[in-house]
Amino acid sequence: MVLNYNDIKEGDAIPAYTSQPITRTHLVRYAGASGDFNPLHHDDTFIKKIGMERIIAHGMLIMGIAGEAVTAWIDKKNLRKFNVRFLGMTEPADLHDMENTKKRATITVTGKVVKKFEENGEKRIQCDIIAQDANSGRKLTGYFIAALP
Amino acid sequence: MADKSKLGMEFPPYVIEVEKAKIAEFAMAVSQKNDKEQINPIYAKSEAAKKAGYSGIPVPPTFPTSFMFWTGGGLMGIVNSLGINLGRLLHGEEEYEYFGEVCAGDVITGKMKVAKMFDKEKKDKPGKFMEFTLLETEMRNQRGELVIKARTTLVER
Repeated sequence: MVLNYNDIKEGDAIPAYTSQPITRTHLVRYAGASGDFNPLHHDDTFIKKIGMERIIAHGMLIMGIAGEAVTAWIDKKNLRKFNVRFLGMTEPADLHDMENTKKRATITVTGKVVKKFEENGEKRIQCDIIAQDANSGRKLTGYFIAALP
Repeated sequence: MADKSKLGMEFPPYVIEVEKAKIAEFAMAVSQKNDKEQINPIYAKSEAAKKAGYSGIPVPPTFPTSFMFWTGGGLMGIVNSLGINLGRLLHGEEEYEYFGEVCAGDVITGKMKVAKMFDKEKKDKPGKFMEFTLLETEMRNQRGELVIKARTTLVER
């Protein structure tokens, strides 16, 4: 499906995107893929040392999931700007207690078109986005700008 | 405590070749897939990427942050050279401006500098401050074209 500038209105929702419950294995995979080996994201002994309870997901994994949400809707090559502010930490689900912990680790990205404008000879849209877990905990807010035909 | 004398400091430029396998690995990580066959084919197969209008296999939108982790001592190198306490480090903001494509086989040169350092008083704890460090990186390809500007805000809580 090709999105056209003329078919989009301010206020239009972008399609919601929901992640799988994030597990420690997802964090390990992201650490290796990205090169971000901050022990905060995998080492329980470091977590104890700094007085936290559990390891947390990389903020950049949540932004990466938001990037998947964005590019499920618009082509990656049309993206001109992508900005997020991190608001809350994400603790992975515990495998021995998925039922009670999967909600905190399941991320849904939603958003809407807030602006249509022309810039640098291109027709562009700006969309606000927000990522939240299934307990309504806010993880990040931000926006992206895309050029459309 | 971030060392405020580092404001304006430029890190040594890093040069990195964008590897095809690394792109697929990253795309699998952010899409939570276990197999290359399950990801968006533009991140794994050059024919699919070309068909979709790319000159080669493109990088996912948040991939550029990885460049700095693979060079210059990685995160620990950066944190240590700025005097940041890892135990207090949070990622505050991340922003990319995309000026051109980055595809597998490109050779990217990144120049990162410390653009801003400032403190903000904690709302719930007057007299206590959070410290912010803004890193700006310009990334150019092998033809010298500016392809991405990235801004990373690190926070010490």
